[in-house]
Amino acid sequence: MCVTGNSTALATQIQSVYRHFPFQCAGEWADIHARVDDVGGWRRLIRPQVVFSADARAVFAPFPADSPLPLLEWGCNWLIGHRLNHLLLFHAGALERDGLTLLLPATPGSGKSTLSAALSLRGWRLLSDEFGAFDPDAGCFRALLKPVALKNESIDVIRRFDPQATIGPKFPKTRKGTVAHLAAQKDAVQRRAEPARPGAIILPRWEAGSATRWEPIPPHAAFSALAFNAFNYQLLGEIGFNAVLSIVRRCLAWQLIYSDLDDAIQTIEQAWPTVVERARQ
Amino acid sequence: MRPVPAIPTLEWLKALHEPAMTLGWTLQQWSDIVRLARRLRLLGRLAYSIDAAGLTTRMPEQVQRQLLGESRLSGWRTRALTWTMGQISQQFDGANYPRVLLKGGAYVAQDLSIARGRLPSDLDILVPRQAIPDAQRRLRNQGWQEIELDAHDRRYYHEWSHETPPMRNALFGMELDLHHNILPPVARMTVDAQRLLDDLVRAGVDGWQILNPVDQVLHCAAHLFLDSELRDRARDIVDFDGLLRHHESDRNFWPRLIERAIKLSLVEPLQLALRFSCGWMQTPLPETAREELSRNVPSRQRQFWLLPLLDAALTPTPPDRSPGHRQRFAAIALMVRYHRQRMPARLLLPHLWHKIRSGQPSERKVDDGA
Repeated sequence: MCVTGNSTALATQIQSVYRHFPFQCAGEWADIHARVDDVGGWRRLIRPQVVFSADARAVFAPFPADSPLPLLEWGCNWLIGHRLNHLLLFHAGALERDGLTLLLPATPGSGKSTLSAALSLRGWRLLSDEFGAFDPDAGCFRALLKPVALKNESIDVIRRFDPQATIGPKFPKTRKGTVAHLAAQKDAVQRRAEPARPGAIILPRWEAGSATRWEPIPPHAAFSALAFNAFNYQLLGEIGFNAVLSIVRRCLAWQLIYSDLDDAIQTIEQAWPTVVERARQ
Repeated sequence: MRPVPAIPTLEWLKALHEPAMTLGWTLQQWSDIVRLARRLRLLGRLAYSIDAAGLTTRMPEQVQRQLLGESRLSGWRTRALTWTMGQISQQFDGANYPRVLLKGGAYVAQDLSIARGRLPSDLDILVPRQAIPDAQRRLRNQGWQEIELDAHDRRYYHEWSHETPPMRNALFGMELDLHHNILPPVARMTVDAQRLLDDLVRAGVDGWQILNPVDQVLHCAAHLFLDSELRDRARDIVDFDGLLRHHESDRNFWPRLIERAIKLSLVEPLQLALRFSCGWMQTPLPETAREELSRNVPSRQRQFWLLPLLDAALTPTPPDRSPGHRQRFAAIALMVRYHRQRMPARLLLPHLWHKIRSGQPSERKVDDGA
């Protein structure tokens, strides 16, 4: 990823939430080129704004000048979701353990980012909180690692869950409410080039006050949870269909209803040996 | 006419015909080319040329990923276009007037090589003007809806334009433009649509016809120079070049093309398009055609102000820069000229005034997403 721009607030914000990533000032190649600039002219005096552009073309309407980081993150996700069509991109959190992927598809109200964040703070290697990126040619998932975007209550939930976690500045009143970013763990950053085979699919649902419920779901339900929550499933056509089929055939799938993060993670970890066992077969 | 100046950032256009030249590009060069080609909607075409020459696996790995991704995007959009054409054609069963595919749809229907890797943005179709109400009714029955417009814009489309307001349909994910001519009827340079309709050709897709090949070439040129914002429109030059090359072996093509251009008063856009396609892409131009066209060049005075503006507007901004003042000025000046050609002053001034007041750009922005 290559980021340029003259937005003064941005550099510090990037350094805080991309703290473990290697930075370089010049390079031959980047998959994504993004630019965040302060909007000039007389408007700056009344309402300072920043604008996101890619390859010399503005992609969105400008944002308030003090929140360049959410704009950068949002913009880059947009570019990834529209452009990386060599991968099948599920709208899902993705984590790795034992070389296997745990996929958390983003069905409405799933709280996949919160659960992904919590798992990443308990030793699971984060691949992405937004993109389950499957490489159909290699038959494995790839990391598209960026900071985890936490929204509204999730910010305090994760802060309470792990007071040591590095969470960047809070941005109130963005289009998606208050947003803050959790920096990816050092280990996840260092191992971001390592692929992971399909392992398990968990459809999380956060319900206030509910006891943890854990139920297996049939492959066809897992299929629709993946295929119909993808950025480019249609676009990939037959390749996409075959890829989803191969994933649901290899994965175990459950639904997880929870209100307590620790309890939810414990439940996942108890079931994990059966996932590893299944992958060996 | 003075030849088009060399543009280093567009040298790669030649690789569409000589894909082997990509083997010599460094990763750094590739980076700039991928970004610019994508913005110009030409990355898929480049990917197709490289793939057709069997060179894909010899590209750097990072580049292969981008080429593959863009090929898939183009394939999907093309499948969507084909499917949309098929569905709409059923809706027109029994209609007693011709339905004509324009531009991208026509290229797909003829299975032209320029259709491969092309990224269609919308579907353009043409019917006779008197058939527009019937066509609109049939399309609405299929769930197509015109985008919402204020009273002024509705009137603009209805009275001064050669197309109806764009239509959308959630099922198709593709915008539909219904035309009754290829240029606005009130423009100074306009075309008698009946002449086009008298010369249609059957398309390779059921229920559709296409413009005569010479008219397709002229439409491509006229659309670029008389009916569009010129920034980032190199793709139209690539289409134009591809159409001419497709008919290269037909010795009668050029005489017919020139004759038709004269008859339809579209010699100038043809010459302008040739100037760019020959300069950028070495479009083969037979000597006889060159001579014949040279008898018909725009006046020296006209060339003096028009060519530098066109050169500045059509030269794309490099992906790491912001558009320069020169390009911006040229684009605005040409926009004013384009609107002046399109509408007499008594229509233009109220139109611009309305646009300024309502704070919208004068032209609908083409979204480059997907």
